[in-house]
Amino acid sequence: MFSLALKNILFYKGRSITTVLLTFVSAMLFVVYVSMMDGSHKSMLENSLKIYTGAIEIYKKEYRDVGGNEYLIKDVEKITKKLELINGVKSYTTRYETYGLLSSKENSSASMIAGVEALKESEHSSIQKALVSGKYLSDLSGNCLYMGDGLVKKLKISLNDELAFVGAASDDSFAADIFKLCGIFKTGSFGFDSTSSFVSRDYFDALMYADNKASYINIKVDNLEDVERIKADIQKALNDDTLEVLTWKTLMKTMVDAMEVDSIFGYISLALFLIVIFFVIMIYGFVNISSRIKEFGVLESIGLSNTNILKLLFYEIFILTSLAILIATPIAASITYYYTQNPIIIEGISEMYKDYGIVSDEIPFDFNPFTIIWNIGVIYLLNLISIIYPYLYIKSFSPIEASHHV
Amino acid sequence: MIRLENVNKYFYKGQAREVHALKNINLEIQSGEFSLFSGASGCGKTTLLNAIGALDTIDDGAIYLEDKNITLLNDEQRTQLRLDEIGFVFQAYNLVPVLNVYDNIAFIMKLRGFKQDEIEKRVLEVATLLEIEHKLDSLPSNLSGGQQQRVAVARAVASKPKIILADEPTANLDSKNSKNLMDMMRTLNEKEGVTILFASHDDLVMSSVDRVVLLEDGTIVSK
Amino acid sequence: MFRLILKMAWKNSFLRLSRTLLVIIMIAVSMSMMLALQGLYDGMAENMLDKNKRSDSGDITLYAKDYRLNPEIKNSILDAQSIKEDIAKMNGVKAVMMRLNADGLASTARKSSFASIVGIDLAEEEKFGEFSEFLNSGALNFSKRGALVGIELAKTLKLRIGSKVIFSTQDASGEINSIALRVRGIVQTTNIRLDNFAIYVPREKVSSFLALNSTTATQISISSDDETLQKTLQTKYSQLDVKSFFELQPMMQMMQDMMVIFNSITFFIVMLVVFIGILGVMYVSILDRVREFGIMLGIGMRYKYIRLQIILESLIIGFIGFVLGSIFGVLFLYYLGVYGLDLSEFADAMQSFGYETILYATIKLSYFTNTFLAIMMASVLSVLLPLRKIKKLNPVEVIKAQI
Repeated sequence: MFSLALKNILFYKGRSITTVLLTFVSAMLFVVYVSMMDGSHKSMLENSLKIYTGAIEIYKKEYRDVGGNEYLIKDVEKITKKLELINGVKSYTTRYETYGLLSSKENSSASMIAGVEALKESEHSSIQKALVSGKYLSDLSGNCLYMGDGLVKKLKISLNDELAFVGAASDDSFAADIFKLCGIFKTGSFGFDSTSSFVSRDYFDALMYADNKASYINIKVDNLEDVERIKADIQKALNDDTLEVLTWKTLMKTMVDAMEVDSIFGYISLALFLIVIFFVIMIYGFVNISSRIKEFGVLESIGLSNTNILKLLFYEIFILTSLAILIATPIAASITYYYTQNPIIIEGISEMYKDYGIVSDEIPFDFNPFTIIWNIGVIYLLNLISIIYPYLYIKSFSPIEASHHV
Repeated sequence: MIRLENVNKYFYKGQAREVHALKNINLEIQSGEFSLFSGASGCGKTTLLNAIGALDTIDDGAIYLEDKNITLLNDEQRTQLRLDEIGFVFQAYNLVPVLNVYDNIAFIMKLRGFKQDEIEKRVLEVATLLEIEHKLDSLPSNLSGGQQQRVAVARAVASKPKIILADEPTANLDSKNSKNLMDMMRTLNEKEGVTILFASHDDLVMSSVDRVVLLEDGTIVSK
Repeated sequence: MFRLILKMAWKNSFLRLSRTLLVIIMIAVSMSMMLALQGLYDGMAENMLDKNKRSDSGDITLYAKDYRLNPEIKNSILDAQSIKEDIAKMNGVKAVMMRLNADGLASTARKSSFASIVGIDLAEEEKFGEFSEFLNSGALNFSKRGALVGIELAKTLKLRIGSKVIFSTQDASGEINSIALRVRGIVQTTNIRLDNFAIYVPREKVSSFLALNSTTATQISISSDDETLQKTLQTKYSQLDVKSFFELQPMMQMMQDMMVIFNSITFFIVMLVVFIGILGVMYVSILDRVREFGIMLGIGMRYKYIRLQIILESLIIGFIGFVLGSIFGVLFLYYLGVYGLDLSEFADAMQSFGYETILYATIKLSYFTNTFLAIMMASVLSVLLPLRKIKKLNPVEVIKAQI
């Protein structure tokens, strides 16, 4: 049957070429498009993640939903001691975040001010790397403020200018102080850069009565893939119902969901193309076979069973599909690999979409052999399904009817 | 070796246009016969041939091939029977267009799983018998009508079936080719001992066979 | 003669029922899916565009010269009231509104966040952009220090109807001033800046809070269909910054353009593949009947009638496919237009990106007319190749040909 299938393919060139071409196109489309989609999502997520959010964060329950000083973590040391014993936790740092009003001579603006452990913070987030002028913080930087460039612009200040701060301390009492702008950063995340400032915890704790307290604890892990296991270990070790341990998947849920919606739309568009192509492949297969009904009739008369006919159709479509895939896969894989290493750059896209949290002008692709394999698998499946109707059509004829078919 | 007992076949049974195509057929055919079912158009000769060849079912009665009741077989079994024991030659469109003569002749043997050297030997043997051994590499589209029919016969006999059923094999041939074909089939019948049954109203065929079973309106008029 | 040809074309189209049906189904399914997708995308884009316009900048907005660079109250339009009244009388102006905005800090007992106070006049806003339609929950009520809050801001500060919120900022004299407000309603405009940061309060209240004259505004926005209006206003108010919607939100233009490009590409690819499908079937169908056509030519039928018949056959298949596709398409689009695609499972994500949780599709006549033209063209083009074969036929050879 196999050699007969081969000969049929070579003989009926129209159908063969069309099927191979269409399969080739759909395979390329599928692999490249999915790779681009996955890549851009991954990069959006990663870019946003490494700016400030942690792989895992520990909160007092209700802090995220309700907020306020009532839900601060009040005995930080007790928790951090336990964290040191957990396998997979690379390091941790604590943050005390509050909102206040910062005023310069010219202007005032709201700001999130976070007291951070300067050295550790530089390893947990990218704020130090984002330094554009001045200095980053240290444990001794006192009332030095490290501010996002968007906020700096809003307040119309420059390095070494003084700012008045007004806010509430951890016991709800009134807090006020004078800060000095020592450093400016730009992460590229518009929202973050225009609303955040950082100060050393050593200094801030005194002002805020925040010693041994934290808004939350930010944890860095050895391996992101392990994050669920580590979270479970932490929960067990802490054994405290009033605390919640969250992974980045929950913390960045909004973005994760948005990616999913985007993916859904992407797959729907792809599905449209694949369905149309599927129909045409089936039509060509059907037309080819229905014009050979007499031939099949004779073959059935001399003893060719239905199983053999199915085998024949299967071999034909399998050979055609494999040929197309064999050519398409290396090309598609190379394209996706190339653009993984050399992302497409659309200048200005991050500026245009900054409100959506797009940070970079790069659109990297995602090269994932597993994804490519299941993509190809789908194409194979569709092509194989395309012979079902033609096969049923042949089966509906008895050998005699088929031989007399006009 | 072929026995038909009270065979009845209807077309469109139960409908207004019902046709009683075979009426109480009783017939015996010996091994090695070279015989013909003949009669006017619509007399039932093709229907009879198809019934014997397990290509079509009957409504009443039994057909025995060497004491095996083939009317009790299901579709799959009948297909297998046709593969193993019966060869067919049709009026036209016998051959697979994409295969050359060699592969067409070898087709049934390949389906039945014969060994490579067996197939080679046998193909050459029957091709020579039917005088087409010089055309083994040609495609059917490059053969004349007469040559195509000879290839069809070669294929039918190649896997050594017990019976060969030929339905109007000369209908598309001129008289010279028809005579040629009949002579070769006669030779086959004598050399290989295979039973050959024809359905035809061609006078040439009638004059070439040993026995004529005459049919009229679905009944046997003379045996 | 034409009727005979049409009859022959009709009967021949359905000679091979399975084949014809397959092509018709292919056209119908592809077309309806494509239409549904297009309607959904267009609906999303149009909705966003429309809401963005109605919620903020309208078609044209006037700012003080330096306001866009430095959005502070010192860069406000001082005589905004009289300018607004003048504009309202101009030709082609459908509605005018003015707002007084200032950035500051919004705080609750537990949380604080960056926010903007937006001084509005409800009646003006209603006429300008049907502001009441943006209300997500609660009521458009400013009584007893009432305020309306953007939906994302409400999420950030955990505000509910009745919650108390304090807004602080620097007023016109440089003093830091605070105002206590109660949330009466939550507003969703899909305009990200507004939804994330806006606190809507009556304009007079904002002016007195900021120690400004009640005739002052930071923006005057106009709703108008007149394309020449911007130029007129730029000349008349050369001391102000007069910008159109797309100049203020270039991203909206880009989104629109991308939508058009994407839809066009989809359309083109789908129609191309449909063309290939029709081609395949028509080609074989004609090849099968070569003998028949040869005989017709032989008995004296003119080639142009055969050509007409074949073209009609193809058009009939294409047309029926189109009609079926239109029926499914209309059903799809109607359902999506009335009930929408419910993505409320992803509500948070949708809202944060400025989309509504239920997406509605638009139906445009152009969907159907464009598709009709494309399918008809594909049908006709697909038979050109096979027709050439027939043209070259020699009747005698064809009739003689082996079976």
